[in-house]
Amino acid sequence: MTQVAVKLKAPDERVAKRNPFQKLLARPEVGALVGAIVLFVFFASVSQTFIQPASLATILYGSSTIGIMAVGVSLLMIGGEFDLSTGVAVISSALTASMFSWYFSTNVWVGVLLALAVSLTIGFINGWILMKTKLPSFIVTLATFLMLTGLNLGLTRMIGGGVSSPSISTMDGYQAARAIFASSVNIAGVGVNNTVFIWIALVAVASWVLLRTKVGNWIFAVGGDANAARAVGVPVKATKIGLFMAVGFCGWILGMHNLFAFDAVQSGEGVGNEFLYIIAAVIGGCLLTGGYGSAVGGAIGAFIFGMANKGIVYAQWNPDWFKFFLGLMLLLATIVNLIVKRRADSSK
Amino acid sequence: MNAKQIDQQQLLKDEKDPLTHTPVHLLSLANVGKHYGNIVALTDVTLAVDNGRVTCVLGDNGAGKSTLIKIIAGLHQHDEGVLHVMGEERKFGSPRDALDVGIATVYQDLAVVPLMPIWRNFFLGSELTSGFGPFKSMDVQKMKDITKKELADMGIDLRDVEQPIGQLSGGERQCVAIARAVYFGAKVLILDEPTAALGVKQSGVVLRYILQARDRGLGVIFITHNPHHAFPVGDRFLLLKRGKSIGYYDKKDITLDELTAQMAGGAELAELAHELEQLGGHGDIVKEVQAEVAETASAGAPTQLRS
Amino acid sequence: MTKFSWRKTALVAAVVPMLALSACSSTGGRPADAGNAAGGGQVVSTPRMKVALITHAAPGDTFWDIVRKGAEEAAAKDNVELLYTSDPEGGRQAQLIQQAIDQKVDGIAVTLAKPDALKDVLKKATDAGIPVVSLNAGESVSAQLGAFTHFGSNEKLAGAAVGSKLSELGLKHPICVIQEQGHVGLEARCAGVKEKVAGTEILYVPGTDMAQVSSTVTAKLQATADADAIIGLGAPYTLTILKAVTGAGSKAKVASFDMNPELAQKIADGEVVFTVDQQPWLQGYGSIDSLWQTKRGGFKVGGGQPVLTGPSIVDKSAAPDVLKFAKEGVR
Repeated sequence: MTQVAVKLKAPDERVAKRNPFQKLLARPEVGALVGAIVLFVFFASVSQTFIQPASLATILYGSSTIGIMAVGVSLLMIGGEFDLSTGVAVISSALTASMFSWYFSTNVWVGVLLALAVSLTIGFINGWILMKTKLPSFIVTLATFLMLTGLNLGLTRMIGGGVSSPSISTMDGYQAARAIFASSVNIAGVGVNNTVFIWIALVAVASWVLLRTKVGNWIFAVGGDANAARAVGVPVKATKIGLFMAVGFCGWILGMHNLFAFDAVQSGEGVGNEFLYIIAAVIGGCLLTGGYGSAVGGAIGAFIFGMANKGIVYAQWNPDWFKFFLGLMLLLATIVNLIVKRRADSSK
Repeated sequence: MNAKQIDQQQLLKDEKDPLTHTPVHLLSLANVGKHYGNIVALTDVTLAVDNGRVTCVLGDNGAGKSTLIKIIAGLHQHDEGVLHVMGEERKFGSPRDALDVGIATVYQDLAVVPLMPIWRNFFLGSELTSGFGPFKSMDVQKMKDITKKELADMGIDLRDVEQPIGQLSGGERQCVAIARAVYFGAKVLILDEPTAALGVKQSGVVLRYILQARDRGLGVIFITHNPHHAFPVGDRFLLLKRGKSIGYYDKKDITLDELTAQMAGGAELAELAHELEQLGGHGDIVKEVQAEVAETASAGAPTQLRS
Repeated sequence: MTKFSWRKTALVAAVVPMLALSACSSTGGRPADAGNAAGGGQVVSTPRMKVALITHAAPGDTFWDIVRKGAEEAAAKDNVELLYTSDPEGGRQAQLIQQAIDQKVDGIAVTLAKPDALKDVLKKATDAGIPVVSLNAGESVSAQLGAFTHFGSNEKLAGAAVGSKLSELGLKHPICVIQEQGHVGLEARCAGVKEKVAGTEILYVPGTDMAQVSSTVTAKLQATADADAIIGLGAPYTLTILKAVTGAGSKAKVASFDMNPELAQKIADGEVVFTVDQQPWLQGYGSIDSLWQTKRGGFKVGGGQPVLTGPSIVDKSAAPDVLKFAKEGVR
């Protein structure tokens, strides 16, 4: 950091040098990063299995199934909204693809594309209602959450005659779709699930959008102060609706993974997962009130969740305490974030 | 009342270096009004803005100042009268429309997103991009450089354009917003109470930027309730009260005292003095108010342009 | 961003009908209608009666589909109007029972997963002279709460049956996968297994998320290399576990509780060694039929003892027969 003398006025005594370390501390995901490192070292020291390559691949896979959604949810949270319908929307997408192609005996790709359309539409409707009514996103998405839960159950029974979608594993196009959404790639003898790569790619794209495009600038702006953003000409409504659709897109990817990894989908699944995505985003340093956060942070949050969840299994512990530790971690992560942010802000 | 209408010919007559050659105003409002349901917020307001001129809009709280700027900035639409930009009648559907014709607004609180870095705020809504189609990315280094340079040109030198704008002082934030409007080629700059929340020194700094913007050839609309801030920089003064125009003056036709008196409203001031006396108010204050009443009376009614 | 997505949406809207016309799947999919065989039987001549079946089923659980199917078949045959409701939460299940009493039903069949929440309202039912029968869960408290009998499988007994079968196969270190932490019935199943095979380990997985089930099972298999068997406590979970086992390259044998067509197929194919079926169809059928019997001649089946509907072990030899019925949705 170079200190530039203030020409107009006398040099400001508040101006102090910021070293690169302090600059790093100002990043939103730093608290989560520290937490992730501590957790990794901790589990690595208590369990030999934890650091085996195959175990790491499993942890990454577990993290990716949370992380893929956390990408969209983080962006949405930076944009100042959140979505409670994400958990069941994933299942809605999977059910759409499987029920449609099963009922009409089409190539499964038809169902897959229809599911994409449905997922984007769900996102669009969420965003559009929000913008039209100006209700809090909590209420609007809670309503969609309930409606989707009901639709999942009701339509599945109506069309398939049961509460679980019929298996589509013998249908045309299944193998190709499975190869994309649910197969694994062999890296040095360890099978790494495709979702891990999809996850990393999504995080990279989201980070690029957020930091290097004008849409990213708008996302920060609509979350930080929607009125100010509108006043300088940012299309607030389009940005927010777009964010909800991005969440829908992530839900589609995860839904397709669930469908092609397990052939059949139970219509009651997904309830409660929306909180995991939000937890990942918050642990990753996204501010619940919007305007601050990063896509990488959400990814680290998902990784922390994956490590804790799988680490307990590797360490052979009683899992009764898992939820308690998850809550504690959420609390600690947010407090660390808060302290770090305050310190970074005060050391200007 | 011997009202004198401002017109373009007359304005340009004494001008040694006219900034405009067209016989039309940069922006003009004629008999503009606005109501929200059955509440009348603004009626019959007429004003004009020209290049290199500062038009001050004065009025107390609730006088209709913010309604007026919201109409010009495109946040609301007027129900009565006409709004001309460069002689062409317009009605703005959104702030974007207003921005597109060169009307930039610097709001008192809404100017910036506090959590975002200065350079992101500077270019918010008008980001510089390079690349094709969906791969368009922002030219971050260029944007940072421009931000730094533009702010330096306005006389603000910042250590770090990466810091959140929320960390700047109120005056600095106003200046960033003004510099932004100037850089993006605003023809008309609306400043909403830029000095209201500032100390004496900071206000002085902001007033200097107003003059700098004027000297760059912008038409400035300066909204304030402080005649002491308005008079030194203003060329024309529109006084609002309860949604109505109570006076529209050229600088040569009015003094600071007259402006102050008009703002306060002579009759009301006398009433206030009377009231204070009855309440057994402090002698000094009562005397002070009475003195001001006398002053107002002696100043008399100034030449009014149009009311 | 919106614009971009819109374009995508439009593309999809244009592509879907085109594909739909050209891309029909040659295999799989919905079977052509073969006509529904159910409901064609004789109906008894007793006057129409109203029976409520109130379960603690969470929405979207395949198991309860089969229970309901059994109940519906008994109702059709016995000239019974069946009112099916369910709520996993004890307090709300009690309210459903109260509503059934208000509707003046002729009999109540109820699952007793949360007996404490239901005891007061069930007393009201018996006081009002409504015969009550319990099914599925709550064998031990059934009589105490006023039910004249219970249709179900003893969970611990079923677990022990699995345990015995595992020891028969020479397996010493099974993992018992519980998909809902704190669920009494599921814990009892694993306890039953452990009773017979001391080396049993319990693994908890989040049942609402199959991807997490899969990755947690993989993690467990990596952590315990000497595990030689893994047991799913529900057919869909077993199918996911099977995939995880294959994916992890583990040699562990897969066993299961409960049944569905896909699982029956896997058993027939030899990929899953066996499953213990508690025959839920019988629970639904038996409970409704016993209420009709009470109406018909004041009969009380079971002699004050529970009527066991299981455990019934289905292995490779029995699977082909079961598969046929599973596809009809009765197994």
